Amino acid sequence: MQNLIAFLRRFRVFLFFAILQVICLLTYVQYLSFPKSQFFTSASSIGGEFYSMKYAVAQHFELESTNLKLQKENIYLRKRLIKNLYQVDRNLFKIKDTSFEQQYNYIPASVINSTTGKMNNYFTINIGNMQGVKRGMGVFSSDGVVGIIHNTSKHYSVVKSVLTQDINIDVLIQPIGLYGFLKWDGKDPTRGTISGISNDLRIKKWSKVYTRGGSGVFPKGILVGRVEKLAPVEGKPLWDVVIKFSQDFRSIDRVYVIKNLLIEEQKALELDVPEDEDKPLI
Amino acid sequence: MKIIGQQIFRFVLFVLLQVFIFNQIEIGLGITLLLCPLYIMLMPFDTNIFVLMGLAFLMGLNVDIMSDTYGLHASSLLLFAYFRPIIFNFFSPRDGYDVLKSPTIFDMGQTWFLYTFGSLLLIYLTWFFIIEIFSFNKIIYLLQKIFLSLIFTYLLSLLLQVFLLRKTQKL
Repeated sequence: MQNLIAFLRRFRVFLFFAILQVICLLTYVQYLSFPKSQFFTSASSIGGEFYSMKYAVAQHFELESTNLKLQKENIYLRKRLIKNLYQVDRNLFKIKDTSFEQQYNYIPASVINSTTGKMNNYFTINIGNMQGVKRGMGVFSSDGVVGIIHNTSKHYSVVKSVLTQDINIDVLIQPIGLYGFLKWDGKDPTRGTISGISNDLRIKKWSKVYTRGGSGVFPKGILVGRVEKLAPVEGKPLWDVVIKFSQDFRSIDRVYVIKNLLIEEQKALELDVPEDEDKPLI
Repeated sequence: MKIIGQQIFRFVLFVLLQVFIFNQIEIGLGITLLLCPLYIMLMPFDTNIFVLMGLAFLMGLNVDIMSDTYGLHASSLLLFAYFRPIIFNFFSPRDGYDVLKSPTIFDMGQTWFLYTFGSLLLIYLTWFFIIEIFSFNKIIYLLQKIFLSLIFTYLLSLLLQVFLLRKTQKL
């Protein structure tokens, strides 16, 4: 007993250090894999409040370019309104339609905090549980895909951006229709890679990359970027397709959160599919 | 009492500077400007090691909460605080440290500051980036990050001492 006390006294500094260090590392590792603690994030109310204040100041410097962008998008959308189209057959067109059901709903938001220089970059946006944001919803901007909701609080949410190491969004290389998973290597915030593309296929430079919409997080056809170059993977018959993101994450401001109204139905249906023995090629 | 007030002021100032200014600056090439180690460095010589580690932990947590890094800053700052007395002993002057002085570049001189703060910063940054990158595949990139951040953070720390300390020293 005396020995034990003597031991504890002798190493008390190190023990104190070790205990605190273990707490830190546990928090770090745990949060990277699944968000349990609401407290350690900028989605918590104090951190979020501070960033709202910062955003209120910083926003003014970008008002002009943001307006221009929104205006362009408005024009694009206005063109597609039914009243602006010429009706070829007047009897067939109906505005209230029963053959289409709304699947995706969009909630507008602003990014109030973002980083691009770290290995895993998380963005904070100014909407949360009150607006119906839930973990796992997709986020995109008028330029392209941004990320997936990682954690929410009452008024704020943290987005796990495309610039994290295990983002794995399923994407589609258009005209040829190949699909793979989007990844990021942690270095360049303007470029990402797609894995799982077989190297016997020819892919044209600058072909467009869209979301595939398989998992129900993103609708099909949101722009991700363009193919910049193909690099062979050592020891595997695969290409590493390097793409340039269409969204510049260093100047991100307005985003939309995607609410899939049919996700529950899709999830319930997919639960019944039996597990496949063969692993997919990644 | 005065020293406690001064330390609280400094604590808040350093956290705010780190979160709202230096976290927002992104130079590229993997350079990260980390200001917090300077706060731990500038604590008086006779600070209790437990107080030092506690403060490092608290400061790290504060920065973590505000920048979504979940324990990364806390862990590496704690390591910095733990190694501070060890490195200080290693580079101590012949007749020990003068308690009335503080570990700044003005009181202790350029060479002493370069050796102690430089080696502490190296330990700190190595730990920080190893945890952040979490794999040894990118060893070149890791070394590049450590080396460049070391230079820039050291220069920033010198600059901040020139701006902040002259005034507090006169008090």
